[in-house]
Amino acid sequence: MRSALSRTFVVLLVLGIESDLARAQPRNEAHPDWTGYYTLATRSDLAGSGFKQDAPGEQLNNLIIPHLQPWAKARMEATDGVADDTGQVCLPDGIFRYPSMAGRFLWLQERGRIVMVFDNVNTAGVRRIYLDTPHPKNPIPSWNGHSAGRWEGDTLMVDTVGFNDQSWLFGGMEPHTEEAHLIERIRRPGNGAFMEIAITVEDRHALTSAYTYNRYYKKQPDSTEMAEDVCNEDPETWKQFRDKALKKELDRSRQVK
Amino acid sequence: MKTLAQFLVLAMCPAVTIAQQSRAVPSPPDLQGVYQAISDRITLPGGRKNAGSPRAIELLPEAAEQARSAGLKKDPWKMCQPVGPFRMMAKEETKIELVPVNAMIVMLFEDLSHGMLRTIYMKRGHPAKLEPTWLGDSVGRWDGGTLVVDTTGFNDKTWLNEAGAQHSDALHLVERIRPVLDGRYLEYKIAAEDPKTLAKPYSYTRYYKKIDTEVMDDPCHDEDDE
Repeated sequence: MRSALSRTFVVLLVLGIESDLARAQPRNEAHPDWTGYYTLATRSDLAGSGFKQDAPGEQLNNLIIPHLQPWAKARMEATDGVADDTGQVCLPDGIFRYPSMAGRFLWLQERGRIVMVFDNVNTAGVRRIYLDTPHPKNPIPSWNGHSAGRWEGDTLMVDTVGFNDQSWLFGGMEPHTEEAHLIERIRRPGNGAFMEIAITVEDRHALTSAYTYNRYYKKQPDSTEMAEDVCNEDPETWKQFRDKALKKELDRSRQVK
Repeated sequence: MKTLAQFLVLAMCPAVTIAQQSRAVPSPPDLQGVYQAISDRITLPGGRKNAGSPRAIELLPEAAEQARSAGLKKDPWKMCQPVGPFRMMAKEETKIELVPVNAMIVMLFEDLSHGMLRTIYMKRGHPAKLEPTWLGDSVGRWDGGTLVVDTTGFNDKTWLNEAGAQHSDALHLVERIRPVLDGRYLEYKIAAEDPKTLAKPYSYTRYYKKIDTEVMDDPCHDEDDE
């Protein structure tokens, strides 16, 4: 039996079938395709599902603040809601903020990577999750960091490092450092009705301990299209915010000197 | 046991035949990847090289006068605003990522503020009524191995070049994109027509090299030089 099957395998190899099968089933395609447009699930979306958003909306600030180290809390309290808010000058908000607040995104699943395109693309940007690829040894600090993903069954595990320190953990302007570490477990519970992202944030230089919460998103019908959203529609207002932000940055650098 | 082996082989044969037949039918090329515009100074095999430039468009007299009086400080590029596909795709070193999924091909620009993202819908035409947008409404179809993208529905806020040439909401772009040189490059041709501002339709060609790289964050900084 074994020898007969071995011969069969050899024949299949000769025919090139084995290699064709291998090519036809790349690792990513063995998993469900979640491609689509998702929006943050509302209370009515979740009614009766048994799921709920942890610390929804602005309440997330209350969940984060107790975890801040004293310097981080002092920095948060010293910020100016306009001048320090990167999103106000059409710079990125970073991925800690937008997905948990407004959370509309295209999830594009392709070979070897998943691309999340956020609706507010100027400020939330685009996030790429590289599958089965380790982080670079010394990632260049960036707004959205470097995300490495791997499947564990039907759950996508995503690990993100390599952030710059210019964005905030949430709208209360809770700071983080380049040591920030984002861990996400993403799955589709409720028979696929929702996308659940279980989020853990660590930062040994800014937080006393990690904090964790869930967000649920609802997949919209396939016919849903993501509308164009240009942050800087009004350049005059943008310049005013930007000038104020630049002045504050200048004042801060003078204080440091 | 020999019978079992023969059965397995025979069972796979129809699959091989079907696979061979399906290979005979040309299927659209897979455009997935990251590409970067090559320099005007480079000539690729077969004499392929960039040709034309948004600077060479011919404007109608009124549009030419409008361009002359345009304040160059109000260039959308300098305001961190989208500059539109016609101008963006011509820029040297523009880096794009193409993501074909389901019924669309998404084009992401590394320079997100100026290029943003374009969604090319492959299974629908333009809606009868379009709300004007910065990047317009793009629909695509395959013409053999060439992706043909038709875009209308622009607002009139972008410029066609850095010299202040503006366009109207009648701007119509047709792009033809195909892999060349064994898929190592994309040939990109774009034609623009706008009966309200352009004296005649204008087209240019760019070549994009497929590169194995990760696309980085590249937010706009004030007064970025083009």
